[in-house]
Amino acid sequence: MDRYEVIVVGAGPSGLSAAIEAAKRGLNVIVFDENDKPGGQLFKQIHKFFGSKEHHAKIRGFHIGEELLAEAAEVGVEVVLGATVIGLYSDKEVSVRIGEEIKHYKGDTVIVATGAAENMVTFPGWTLPGVIGAGAAQTMMNIHGIQPGKKILMLGSGNVGLVVSFQLLQAGCEVVALVDAAPKIGGYGVHAAKVARCGVPFYLSHTIKEAHGTDQLTGVTINEVDEKFRPIEGTEKYFEVDTICMAVGLSPMSQLLKMAGCEMEDNPKRGGQVPIVDEYGETSVSGVFAAGDVSGIEEASSAMIEGKMAGVCVCGYLGYITDEEKDAELLKLEKDLESLRQGMFAPKNRGKLIEKTEEGIDISMNLLKKGYVADDEIERFPGVVHKVGVHPVMECTQNIPCNPCQDACSKGCISIGNNITCLPFIKEDSNCINCGMCVASCSGQAIFLVDEDCGDGTATVTLPYEFLPLPEVGDKGYGLSRNGEKICDAEIVSVKSVKAFDHTNLVTMKVPKEYAMKARFFKCS
Amino acid sequence: MENKNKADVVVVGGGIIGCATAYYLSKRGKSVIVLEASENIGNGGSSRNGGGVRQSGRDPRELPLAMYGIKELWPELSKELGVDCEYHKDGNLRLGKNEKHKEILQGLTDRAVACGLDVRMIDADEIKEINPYLSDEVTCASWCPTDGHANPMVTTLAFYKKAREQGVRFITGEKVTRLRKIKGKLREVYTEENLYEGDYVVVAAGYESREILETVGVDVPMHQELCECLVTEAEPHMFDQMLGTAEADFYGHQSDHGSFVFGGMSGLELNNKNTGPKNSPSNASITSPCICRGIMKYFPALANAKIVRTWAGYLDICQDGVPVLGFVNEVPGLVVACAFSGHGFGIAPAVGEQLARLIIDGATTVDISGLRYGRFKAKI
Amino acid sequence: MSVIDRSVDIGGFVPQPDDDMLICRCEEITKGEIRKAVHAGMWTMTEIRRYLRTGMGLCQGQTCSRLVKGIVARELGVSPAELEPATARSPMRPTEMKVLGKEVS
Repeated sequence: MDRYEVIVVGAGPSGLSAAIEAAKRGLNVIVFDENDKPGGQLFKQIHKFFGSKEHHAKIRGFHIGEELLAEAAEVGVEVVLGATVIGLYSDKEVSVRIGEEIKHYKGDTVIVATGAAENMVTFPGWTLPGVIGAGAAQTMMNIHGIQPGKKILMLGSGNVGLVVSFQLLQAGCEVVALVDAAPKIGGYGVHAAKVARCGVPFYLSHTIKEAHGTDQLTGVTINEVDEKFRPIEGTEKYFEVDTICMAVGLSPMSQLLKMAGCEMEDNPKRGGQVPIVDEYGETSVSGVFAAGDVSGIEEASSAMIEGKMAGVCVCGYLGYITDEEKDAELLKLEKDLESLRQGMFAPKNRGKLIEKTEEGIDISMNLLKKGYVADDEIERFPGVVHKVGVHPVMECTQNIPCNPCQDACSKGCISIGNNITCLPFIKEDSNCINCGMCVASCSGQAIFLVDEDCGDGTATVTLPYEFLPLPEVGDKGYGLSRNGEKICDAEIVSVKSVKAFDHTNLVTMKVPKEYAMKARFFKCS
Repeated sequence: MENKNKADVVVVGGGIIGCATAYYLSKRGKSVIVLEASENIGNGGSSRNGGGVRQSGRDPRELPLAMYGIKELWPELSKELGVDCEYHKDGNLRLGKNEKHKEILQGLTDRAVACGLDVRMIDADEIKEINPYLSDEVTCASWCPTDGHANPMVTTLAFYKKAREQGVRFITGEKVTRLRKIKGKLREVYTEENLYEGDYVVVAAGYESREILETVGVDVPMHQELCECLVTEAEPHMFDQMLGTAEADFYGHQSDHGSFVFGGMSGLELNNKNTGPKNSPSNASITSPCICRGIMKYFPALANAKIVRTWAGYLDICQDGVPVLGFVNEVPGLVVACAFSGHGFGIAPAVGEQLARLIIDGATTVDISGLRYGRFKAKI
Repeated sequence: MSVIDRSVDIGGFVPQPDDDMLICRCEEITKGEIRKAVHAGMWTMTEIRRYLRTGMGLCQGQTCSRLVKGIVARELGVSPAELEPATARSPMRPTEMKVLGKEVS
């Protein structure tokens, strides 16, 4: 039987990160993935990631996937695709289906990085064709280039629901509503704001009562729920839709670990059935590690760090590095992980209603309930200032570990202060040169360049734009408010697309000057 | 104060034998408590077998029980328990491909015929008539038209359900640690936390019966082998017979649901390691591939059927291959029902019904004397 | 593992309007069937799947096991986390007999 020092199951962000750490220290590593393409969910992620440089911030997910693959190849990781691990047995043996055959492998260590599967919720009609997972919708759009539907209702306001809603809009679908039974939006406010300013209505404290259709989905009825999630009669709303996307959480795909005899627990905070692991991912079976979503649902950035940790641990386990070296590496990685797990959305804050930012500013309740910051709320945030001439307006209102804006400005206009989760602010006596790098670098698309008074009764607003076709200079249309309503006439005066922006185009529109702080999106007439 | 942990009969083991015995006892008015060590009813071999309800191939000592069950109990069982146990009485084919196989099958057939069972050897043509899907290499078989199969998981739970309705108290997660005689008669059953009392104690706890029985100085000579079964996705209906082979490459049937359920061996069963969680033995990587090859040798038509799941379970194999059943003279009040050696499911209703008679009437109506505890002797 | 007396009263089966809703799509098992099985004494995930076949189909419970668990837990009045999920078994993906039977070294 072929034996490897490290067998990694899953070539997603954590599996590849683990394999790289081990292979670069000389271990022989094999990675199996059942898909025909490596990268796990990364290649579906067309949005820019949050975090700091170490976390691949402002890089789009699929580019991170490409970087990981290149690195894996460079250090000699053997990645076998179309290879389904059908069993994990005692003595760290895996059985793998490759093509029309089964092959058994032994590992001195095994790292299970199998990720997660989408949850479903039930309502009458949930089994109708047209009711799909948000991840499935993402695969259809971003891998296969197919629209999942024309008119879509999204259930779930976590980051997956928000990000996929935006991508559906990018793919040319109509998102008729974003619905969540929770009373407040679960994902990042900036993700919600991107969707809201395109005009998608948010229905919080609502759930699906029934999906309609006989052979396929034709419509959906939602209703409001009370604080105990009981439906409130008389609040029904009907939407004609051909697709419902469910983004109602993920469950770890931990079956292989259970099969291998690892001690498991049902931990709602980690998303369900997970292996009991130490802080670096080792399970109760010596030499078997778990990394990424399989040991607790988080996101790709933390999955990559967990993968690295498991990779470093197997190097220690097999004597390739000393305990001191291992501890030093792990300490660094722990710090990276710790910095990601900060802020309002940290795992420890899940389910809590946070009413103030770290700076002591009241959180926008409108953002949490409707998906956008109200005009009378926006002025209280430090990134929103009034100046003469073009200057950045940073509508970043929640403490998220993210800092690319700070590095983006070559003039040093932007600072986020001491902590990576702090809200960005404009430094005194800074001098904006209207280069647009901050706008393009903000993963949340929350930075705008505004000239509040052009001297002729108009103002210009430069906004990030990731839709096709791009407007052209001279195009006339409307300025849209933060909730997507047409509030004024607008004309495009500049469209910039340079390589450094990485496909976040900068569209500048001219609007009446009283709308300088209100118009945040453009729609052609 | 009345002890609520007291009943006419305490049954140790919530498998199909325990559930069936409890059902037939309660049907005749006895109060029964069933103690199951695991968290599930039917956790052991009861839910981990191929579902055979056979007479053919059985040792003459247990054949009367098998014949009685098939004649008297199985036909009406689903109706009686109110759950479809998926019982089929469509015959058993035991297949062979060569002269050596034919000899084995002939021997089994001769012994069964001597006991009055309708079983005979058939040739390739007749085999094809009964089951046209078999490989052309199959040249001989024994055929017992009154054999069949049922769904073991559902049958076990059906006995449980009905017994529970009749007032039997089932307690799961209750591991028996010790039996105790009081004034010359077995009466007390201790678990980790509790004490139960019964006028009779039935020990039907599979292999674990051995250590429980040891506490009253009774030892059943048996060992365990870790075997496996597999199940396919639902396939169009092909046949209704139970199948086996002369060399025991595999055994199984097609269920009402359409899936094929097959069991088999890799040959390493005596020493298969179990690293699974408690109460759920682990599979070995090489067993199910071996079973697949065994099936395809006889059933090439199933090559594309998809396996959706495999499972492992212990056979509790008695020294002489048949169960230990009935009273133990040295320990009045004790009823033993264990060491079913991998073929207990088909006779379970008969065992339960006969043990109820033994306890209530003092005697069985089927001769089980060949299965008594005191039968083990040195070979010379 | 705790000691559980299966004769404890959990109340009778009360019909609900959505009892005919499919929960296990592979085996077409409804919410009502699952709830009735609990009242018939099937109190563990393992018993439920053996009795009804929930999670025994092609997806092996990937979609429904969480849903079934929620329904069983609600019926028993316990937290879903208290219910041990059914065992994981190979093959992790449905595998043709000819493939599983073809081991190469």
